[in-house]
Amino acid sequence: MNMHVQDGEFVCLVGPSGCGKSTTMEMVAGLTLPTEGDVTISGTNVTTHPPKDRGIAMVFQNIALFPHMNVYDNMSFGLRLRNFDKKEIDRRVERAADILQIKNLLNRKPSELSGGQRQRVAIGRAIVREPEAFLMDEPLANLDAKLRVHMRTELQRLHKELQTTIIYVTHDQAEAMTMSDRIAVLNDGELQQIDPPLICYNEPANRFVAGFIGSPSMNFIDGEVTADGFDSEFVSVEFDPVGYDVPVGTSVTLGIRPEDVYLADDRDGVLYPTKLIDTVTDVMEPMGDEIFVYLLHETRETTTMDESQHRSKQLLMSVDSATEISEEDHVAVFLDRTKLHLFDQKSGEAIAHGLETSTRDHAATQNTTPKN
Amino acid sequence: MTTAQNTEIESEGGPFTRWVRNAIDNPGKVHRAMFYVALVFFLFTTLFPIYWLVVLALTPNNLIVDMGVVPHGFNLSVFAELWELVPLHLYMFNSFVIATVTTVYVLLVSSLSGYAFGRLEFRGKGGLLLLLLIISFFPPAAFLLPLFKLFTGNVVVFGLHSPNLFNSMGAIIIPFSGLFLPLSVFILTTFYSQIPDGLEDAARVEGTTRFGALFRVIMPLSAPGLSTAGILTFIAVYNEFFFSFLLSTGDPENGAPLVWGILAFQGQYASMYNYMAAASLIGILPIALLVVVAQEKIVSGLTAGAIKE
Repeated sequence: MNMHVQDGEFVCLVGPSGCGKSTTMEMVAGLTLPTEGDVTISGTNVTTHPPKDRGIAMVFQNIALFPHMNVYDNMSFGLRLRNFDKKEIDRRVERAADILQIKNLLNRKPSELSGGQRQRVAIGRAIVREPEAFLMDEPLANLDAKLRVHMRTELQRLHKELQTTIIYVTHDQAEAMTMSDRIAVLNDGELQQIDPPLICYNEPANRFVAGFIGSPSMNFIDGEVTADGFDSEFVSVEFDPVGYDVPVGTSVTLGIRPEDVYLADDRDGVLYPTKLIDTVTDVMEPMGDEIFVYLLHETRETTTMDESQHRSKQLLMSVDSATEISEEDHVAVFLDRTKLHLFDQKSGEAIAHGLETSTRDHAATQNTTPKN
Repeated sequence: MTTAQNTEIESEGGPFTRWVRNAIDNPGKVHRAMFYVALVFFLFTTLFPIYWLVVLALTPNNLIVDMGVVPHGFNLSVFAELWELVPLHLYMFNSFVIATVTTVYVLLVSSLSGYAFGRLEFRGKGGLLLLLLIISFFPPAAFLLPLFKLFTGNVVVFGLHSPNLFNSMGAIIIPFSGLFLPLSVFILTTFYSQIPDGLEDAARVEGTTRFGALFRVIMPLSAPGLSTAGILTFIAVYNEFFFSFLLSTGDPENGAPLVWGILAFQGQYASMYNYMAAASLIGILPIALLVVVAQEKIVSGLTAGAIKE
């Protein structure tokens, strides 16, 4: 894995559990020695430097405040070790406490603080060091949902204020999407993609990234490239395979996000729709502002197929909560051609994001209209 | 009809039956009673020897034959006179130095090995711990003859004679540091392994080395374990008799410990039991003080050590 983080950048490492996010972090921090490869900070190779000489500060998932010291001592620990002037320590701790609004807690022990306060003290301990980079290893994972959202905005504000590089590990892709300048998606210790959040979302480099970023996850339909385009038992989309450098007969996977699946009636807003697909609604998940509808292939009304097949034959669609739709309805849907993704089935690499929108497709769509 | 009979029998029972029934109905009462019985027993077994020392010290030596459990006479002057006969303070000071040096050494070495055994993964860890356990099972007396030979300079390695440590503090400190190490290592291994990894990582990122993290974070958080290991070692060494008696000639200026000070009241023809008892009582004092102080430390260590995962 090769990753380059710019100065002042907020980079999130995301990935499923056990993919190597925390290990990467520990290697950057110097707590774990990499088996091979180098870590460079500000142009210096620090691979063999101990953690204390790397000019970094870290916020841990389990907070890791020293229980035998009060908040002030916890925050000033690193400065006192570096023999800073007492006045300078006071000034920095005060400033950090100001930013984090924990000024009135300086004399308390960590055991007397709430979860959110502890987390802020832990961040404060990192801030006072004025490091070259912050490493944050799932700092919000142990907080409750409401506090987590609050701390998320606090962290963004902090980053704006300090303009320091932050490397942030999380398994929560919402955190990654909202906070970071760039997202690095990891799987099985391999870097899958590193790009700004919206690019990861709209142009995922491979099937893994496509499935990982976004909630609920993207629909994948396995099929084959034919001379006319993409074909599967469920969905077929017409396009000219020559334009995408895919030989006819290649096994590919079509990806489409739930919000890019539309009911036949909603045609107005979409410029480049695909042909209509006849489906039967299966299960509905009303979320309040929208409804997630699971669609099955018209000819197959039961869901008794095995899991792998099932995935390909099911389509998740999100519709506005005002839509009148109920289970076992027969509905026709179409996909937004510009939001389609094609992935190579073997390697998982992306072949195309958004299909061509030539006149030929227009003709095709118009042809289907009377059929409806 | 049957129930009526039963109640009749219950009320008819004698005082013993009623007492037993009462005990069965109120198990709490019995527990309390048992607690006091046990308490009195332990208090008696621990405090009686001290009381007996007081009795012996107060009884003049010529009245000591055929005495009962109360002192024959009230002779407080022994506590003052004993200093004229024997420089007990020198012996106590020697014991104190020996015990302190041994304790510091043991805590230092067992902290390092406790850190290794408790927090690191390495090959042969189980085997090494087992070896340590086996060594601690050795009877100390088995070491005496080789040690004697070693400390009198009779062991020659590559033409170099072993240092002559006989009749010095070193001859007591060295074997005891070794003998008490395994126990402390085991205590500290357990304590150190319970400190969350995150705290050590945090300390290291903040700017300590591994050693720094051990001394600044892991050890303060393991205060109860450290004081337990420390007190056990200190008391054992301070009270030690066997090696102290055999590896020293008993002169206070040569580092002879407390035991020699007490034995000094034993002459060739007479044993001054009252002085010996008084000296023993004085010798106990520093240890008693130490335990009281350390106990406070243990309690505060326990309350402050609320480790949050």
